[in-house]
Amino acid sequence: MRKILTIAACLALGAAGSAMAQETFPRNGVYDERTGLVALTNATIHTDYKTTIENATLLIRNGKVEAVGTKVQVPAGAVVVDAKGKHIYPGLVDMFSAYGLPEVKSERRNYGSPPQEESTKQGAYNWNQAIRPETNAVELFKVDKKQAEEMRKLGFGTVLSVHRDGIARGTATLVTLADKRENEVVLLDKAAGALSFDRGSSPQDYPNSLMGAIALLRQTYLDAQWNNMNPGREQNISLKAFSDANNFPQIFEADNKLNVLRADKVGDEFKKQYIIKGGGDEYQMIKEIKATNAPIIVSLNFPEAYNVEDTYDARRVSLDAMKHWEMAPANPALLQKAGIPFAITVSDLKDKKDFLPNLRKAIEYGLPEEEALKALTATPAQLLKADKHVGSLDKGKLANFIITSGNLFAEDNVILENWVQGNQYKITEVPSDYRGIYTLKIGQQPEKRLQIAGTPDKPELKVIGQDTVTGKISFSGNLVTLSFTKDKKSKETVRLSGWYADKNLQGDGQLPDATPVKWSAKFSEAMTQQAKKDAAKEAKKALELGNMVYPFQAFGQAELPKQETVLIKNATVWTNEKDGILQNTDVLLKNGKIAKVGKNLSESGARIVDGTGKHVTPGIIDEHSHIALDGVNEGTQAVTAEVRMKDVVNHEDPNIYRQLAGGVTTSQLLHGSANPIGGQSAIIKLRWGKSPQEMLVENADEFIKFALGENVKHSNRSPVHNVRFPQTRMGVEQVYVDAFQRAKEYEQTWKNYSKLSKKQKAAQGEPRRDIELETLVEILNNKRFITCHSYVQSEINMMMKVADQMGFKVNTFTHILEGYKVADKMRDHGAGGSTFSDWWAYKMEVKDAIPQNAGIMHKLGVTTAINSDDAEMARRLNQEAAKSVKYAGVSEEDALKMVTLNPAKLLHLDNRMGSIKPGKDADVVLWNNHPLSIYARAEKTFVDGIAYYDLERDTQLRQELEKERGRLVQKMLQAKTSGARTQAPAQRRASVVHCEDVEHNEEEEYLAY
Amino acid sequence: MKIHKRYISAFVALLLSVPAFAQVPAPAAKQSKPMLLTGATLHVGNGTVVENAAVGFDNGKITYAGPVSGANRNGHEVIDVAGQHIYPGLIQPNTQLGLEEISSVRATLDMREVGQLNPNVRAVVAYNTDSDVIPTIRANGVLLSQVTPVGGTVSGSSSIVQLDAWNWEDAVLKADEGIHLNWPNMLINTGGAPNPRLANFAQQREQAISDLAQLLRDASVYKSAKNEKENLKLSSMAGLFDGSKRLYIHANYGKEIIESVNFVKQHGIKDNIVIVGAGDAVAVADFLKANNIAVIYSGVHALPSRSDEDVDMPYKTPYLLQQAGIPFALDYDLSLHGIRNLPFIAGTAVAHGLDKEQALASITLNTAKILGIDKQVGSVEVGKDATLVVSGGDLLDMRTNNVTHAFIQGRKLDLNDKQKYLYQKFDGKYQAEAPKVEGAKAQK
Repeated sequence: MRKILTIAACLALGAAGSAMAQETFPRNGVYDERTGLVALTNATIHTDYKTTIENATLLIRNGKVEAVGTKVQVPAGAVVVDAKGKHIYPGLVDMFSAYGLPEVKSERRNYGSPPQEESTKQGAYNWNQAIRPETNAVELFKVDKKQAEEMRKLGFGTVLSVHRDGIARGTATLVTLADKRENEVVLLDKAAGALSFDRGSSPQDYPNSLMGAIALLRQTYLDAQWNNMNPGREQNISLKAFSDANNFPQIFEADNKLNVLRADKVGDEFKKQYIIKGGGDEYQMIKEIKATNAPIIVSLNFPEAYNVEDTYDARRVSLDAMKHWEMAPANPALLQKAGIPFAITVSDLKDKKDFLPNLRKAIEYGLPEEEALKALTATPAQLLKADKHVGSLDKGKLANFIITSGNLFAEDNVILENWVQGNQYKITEVPSDYRGIYTLKIGQQPEKRLQIAGTPDKPELKVIGQDTVTGKISFSGNLVTLSFTKDKKSKETVRLSGWYADKNLQGDGQLPDATPVKWSAKFSEAMTQQAKKDAAKEAKKALELGNMVYPFQAFGQAELPKQETVLIKNATVWTNEKDGILQNTDVLLKNGKIAKVGKNLSESGARIVDGTGKHVTPGIIDEHSHIALDGVNEGTQAVTAEVRMKDVVNHEDPNIYRQLAGGVTTSQLLHGSANPIGGQSAIIKLRWGKSPQEMLVENADEFIKFALGENVKHSNRSPVHNVRFPQTRMGVEQVYVDAFQRAKEYEQTWKNYSKLSKKQKAAQGEPRRDIELETLVEILNNKRFITCHSYVQSEINMMMKVADQMGFKVNTFTHILEGYKVADKMRDHGAGGSTFSDWWAYKMEVKDAIPQNAGIMHKLGVTTAINSDDAEMARRLNQEAAKSVKYAGVSEEDALKMVTLNPAKLLHLDNRMGSIKPGKDADVVLWNNHPLSIYARAEKTFVDGIAYYDLERDTQLRQELEKERGRLVQKMLQAKTSGARTQAPAQRRASVVHCEDVEHNEEEEYLAY
Repeated sequence: MKIHKRYISAFVALLLSVPAFAQVPAPAAKQSKPMLLTGATLHVGNGTVVENAAVGFDNGKITYAGPVSGANRNGHEVIDVAGQHIYPGLIQPNTQLGLEEISSVRATLDMREVGQLNPNVRAVVAYNTDSDVIPTIRANGVLLSQVTPVGGTVSGSSSIVQLDAWNWEDAVLKADEGIHLNWPNMLINTGGAPNPRLANFAQQREQAISDLAQLLRDASVYKSAKNEKENLKLSSMAGLFDGSKRLYIHANYGKEIIESVNFVKQHGIKDNIVIVGAGDAVAVADFLKANNIAVIYSGVHALPSRSDEDVDMPYKTPYLLQQAGIPFALDYDLSLHGIRNLPFIAGTAVAHGLDKEQALASITLNTAKILGIDKQVGSVEVGKDATLVVSGGDLLDMRTNNVTHAFIQGRKLDLNDKQKYLYQKFDGKYQAEAPKVEGAKAQK
C-alpha cells in the first residue's frame, strides 16, 4: 500500500493522465508526460450513488479527482470540456470478474479414466490440487485490450480479477480497465481471498462431491491454523498462502442459494464472514440468505423465456424453471427490500451487452435506481476496502467516471465516454437529434410533411402527403439519406440524399422514373416531449408476478400448512405398543405430539377427521434413503468419514412430497457405498416447504455409513479402477483395522496433549486436528453409530469381528441380504438389520438373497427394518413390509413395525417416533385401507401434527399448478412475440440415486431435433 | 455327543427333504388325466367373475369353466380349491428373463447384439430355461413371457414362451412373433448445458431414421423380387408387411409415439403396431385411438417423469388409458427378479382407479390379445390352454397373493425355487439350534 502512495505522490511530474507512472522503466525517446488537467464543466455530476450536483464542474489532474462541485475554480492550463446537458457518474466497479486472467481449463478426466489419488503438482504445495491458495491473480494478470474495451463500453472502470480455479483460489487483484501497462492499472495487488466448492482444473479425484469439497475446505482451515502454530512441522507453501489470503475480504463463489447457505456455514465455523457470489436465485430463500449476514454479489443472468409454442415440449419445462424466468429480474429488488447488502456483477452474462438492459429490468422490477448505482459503485468499493480509490467522485479518488447523455438507467441513455484513471475513452458519438416535423419539397411537387421520430440514434421516418408512408432515414455525421415509396399502394421508391444545415435538410434525389430532383425539408416544429417519451419507452404494463412458493418447486405453497389440533375419530389404530391394533379408536394430535389414544375422545377446538373404515399408523421411517441430497458418494478415498450429508440436504427434491404421499415421515439420508467408510448421515423429517436446516431431526443421534463388498472393491467398474486399495474383501478388513487403529492413536495423542502444562503445551505445539479421525473417535466413544451396507455372510461376520476387536458395535447392517445366514451372530453382536423385501439376482453378491431374509432375522430376535434405497419404492414401503407376511409368515403387526417402530429403534428415535403413544411426535398416517394392502393409499400424512400431505389439498394444488403453468406459458408466448430471445425447452431433474451411484448427476434433457 | 449326532442327522434329513439341492425344479410331466378344480372364485380374465366355480381341463386344454353345478366330475382328478381364486396364468411381455442372469456379469448377458439393424436376430435361441430366477417368478403366478432382445434401432425378434420347460424349443408358445424397433430418442441427457454432443446426437438420430427408412423400403419389396442371394435382414421382416408379425415400437415421449407410428405407416406397415414403454400414452391418447394402436405400458411403479406431474401419474396411467379406450397391457420393467411383482403393479392400478378385473385383464387377456396369442392363452375359457393359477387370496395384493397351484398346459408345476430352498436350509439350521440355545439359557 505504501508503495502505491509513494508512486502516486511522485505524479506531480505528470503522466499522461495516469495515476501511476512507470518510474522504473527506461524510455526510448524523449519523455512525454502530461498532467492530464481537465475540467468538465456544466455537468450534472453524481458524485456518489446518492448525491447529485447540477451544473457542476469536475476537475481532474494526474488521473485523480482534484475537485468537484459548483464552485470549482478552473485553473489556468486546464483543458475545459463543456458537458452541458450531460451526466457524469463514478466509473462502475465489478467485484467478480476474470478480466485479464488465463482461462481455466477443467482437466477433469472422464469416467473411464483411472483414479488419481495423489497430487501431480511438483513442489512443497498442498496434498490436494483443488487447494491452490498460492495463486495470486496479480501474478497471472495481463492487460487485455479487447476485454477492457468490452467492459468499458458497459460503464465499468474497475474490476476485481478472480482466478476462478479450485476450492482455495488464492488472492484476487483489483485493477482498472485502462489500456496501460499492468504496473499502472493494478490498484490493489491482493484485494481479496477467493474460495469456492468447485475443484476446478484439479485432475485429482478427491473431492468428487459437494460434501467432499466442504470437508476439504474445513480441513484446510484446520491445517493452515496448525501449520501456522507449528511452522517447523511441515513446509507447506499452500497452507502459508492460505493463512495469508485469509487476511483479505473473502469472496466465496456459490452458484445457487443453497450453496450460499453452505458457504456461510463454513465461514461461521472459522469465524469468517464471506462475501458470497450467488447464482441469482437468492430471492427464493430470502429469509435464510438474510440470516447469513453475508453481502451478496448478485448475478444479472436472467434466464431467457422458454419456447413453449409446442404443447408437448412445453410440458417438459418445469414450474420452477418457468417461475424463475418470471421472477429472476426481481431478485435484486427483493434483496434490497430485505436489507441485504449486495454488489452487482456481469460475470455470468453470456452476452455482456445484456448488462444495461437487464439492469433496467431489475429497476423496472422494483430496484431503486440509487440502489442499483450503489451496488455498482459504493458497495463493491467498500467491500473491497478500496473506497479511497473508487466508488465515488471525491477529491483524491481515481478519475474513473462515465459521461452519459442522460440518466444512466434510462432506456434512451447513451454512454458517451468512459474515463479510466484520467484516460478518456470515447464510447459513443453523440447522436444528433434531428427529430421533428419538416416541410418537404421535392422538385415541383406539392409540399408534404416529413416526420422524424423514434430515438436519436434510431430515427424513424414518415412522409405525410395525400396518404402516409413510412420510409427509411439514416444520418452519417451531417449527411442524410432517405427513401420511401411514392404512395401507399406503390412499390416504387423515391430516394433522397443530402445534408443538414441550420436545422434544415436539403440535397439531390431521384424519383422512381429516374428523374433527378432537388429537395429540401424545412424544420417546422420540434418533437413534443410526450412523443419523445412514447418513443423512448414502450407502454409499460403493470408488473404481475406469481406467488412465491415454498419450496420453489411444483407442489410448493405460498402458505405452509399449520400445526393443528386434530382428532381422528373411529379408526383402526395400529399402535405398535402392547395394545396392538385397536378398533374404533380415536387419536388426538396436539402441539405436534400424540396427545391421547382412546375411545370417544373429545377436544374442543380440534379439527375432526372421520377415520371410519380407515387405518391410522405411525409415519413410515425409511432407514436407507438418498432423496433430498445434492450428492451421494464421495467415492474417492477408502475412508471419507469427514464428509457430512447434512451439508448437502436439498429441501426442494420433489421426491419429498411424493414420499409424503406414500406415508413417509422420516428418512435417514445416507452416504453412498463406494468406500468402506463413507460419510456421516443426515436424518430428516419430510417437512415439505421448510429449509434443509429445519428438516433435520432435532437432537438425533449421529450416524455414519460403512460399506462392504462389490461396491467398495470396485467390482462392477471398469478395469481402470482396479488400483484403489481395497480390491478384495481381505483388503476391506484391513482398511477398517487400520482406520480405527489410527483413530485410537489420534485420540491418545490429544489425551496426552491435554494433560500437559501450559508451558509444555506451548513448547510442544497443538496436535493437528483431523476431522476424519475425529469422526472415527466418536464411533469408538459411542457418540456416532454405524449403518453398514453389506450383502454376503463372510463380510458381515468380518465386520462384527473387527468391531469386537476395536471396541465398537455395528448398529445396523443395511441391505444385509445374507443376514439370514448369520442372523444368530448379528443378534449376539446386537446389530440390527435393515433390508430389501425381495431384491436379488442383480449382481453376484446378491445371488443368494431371499425374500424371507427379514422374516428370519426378525424371528431370531434381530431388530429388523425394510428400507428403500430408492425414491420410488419408498412410496410403497408399507407394501414392501407386507411381503414379509407373504414370504416368511411374519405377523401383520410385526411387518408394519419393520417400516415404523423398528427403523425408529435402529435410528435411536423410538422414544419419540414409531408408535402411536401419547407423548410421541405426531407423525402419523391416515390410510384409506389396510396399510399392508396394495390398495392402501395415504390420505393424510402428519409430521409434527402438521398435515404436510393431504389428498384433498393435493387435488387443489394440482389445479393451481396447471393454472399457474397456463399463465406463465401465455406470458412466455407474449415475450416471444414481442421479440424476446427464447431457449429450447429443457428438462432439469436430479437423477434418481441409489447408493451405488458414484457420482451425482443433474440430468438435463434437450430436444435433439 | 449323542445329542450332537442327533442334530446332525436331523439337519441332513432336512437337507434331503429339499428336492434337487437348489436346482431349478424339473418341468412337470404332460397332463395324464382330466382334472377339475372346484369351489373357487373364477376370474376369467375377460372381466367375468364366477363364484363357486369349477375349471376342468384335459390334454392341456380347458374343457370346462363355469359354476361348480355344471361341471362333470366323471373321470377327473378333483382338486378342492374352495375359498380360493382361479386366474389365467399371468403374462409378462417385453422381458429379458432367461436372456440375462446376473446383470453385472457380462458372461451371463445375452440380450443385446452389436449393430443398429438386427431384425434377423432371434431372442428365443438364447432363452435359458434353467435360469434360477424363472421359478421364483412362477411362484407368484406369472406363467408366460415374451422373450425380447434389446439394443440398436431394430433389436430383433421376440418369442412367447411358457415358464416351465426343458429347453427353449420346448418352451416356445409362439416363435418370432414380432420385431422390436427402438424409436430414436428425441430427448438427450447432456448432463449439463447444451453442448456439441447435442448437434452430434441430432445428426445421429437423423441418420438412424434414414437408415431405417431404407431398411423398410427394401424389406417391403424384398419378397416380390427374385433374389439371387438371400438377405437375412430383409427376409426376416417380410411378416411385418403382410400382418403376420407384429411391430413393437419402443417409445415414451409423446411426440416420439406420434412420429414413429406415422413413419412406419408411411413405410407400408399398416397393422399390428404396438407401442411399448408408452410413458406419455395418455397425452397422445386421441392419436393412439384414431390409429387403433395398442400399448404395453411399462413402469407403473415409477416416479412421475416430470417434477410437475401428479405424484400418482404412473400409478393411475392404466386407469386413464382404460378411460380413454386405449387397448393396453402392463409390463414390469424395473428388474428381472422383480417380475414376480407383476400382479402387484396391476393391484396398484386398482388402488388408483382401475377396476379389479380390468386390472387382471391388463396382465392376462389384454396382453394375450396384444401379443396375438389370445386364441390359446390369456383367459380361463374352454378350448384354451389350461395355463392357470390358483391363489389362496386376491392375486393382485401381496397381502393375499398365495399361489397354491399353477398349471401350464395342464401340467401341474413344482412351485419350489432356489430361494425357498435357501430359506428351508437356514430356517432348519436355526430350528435345529433353537432347543440348544434355550437349553443353554436354562442351564444358566
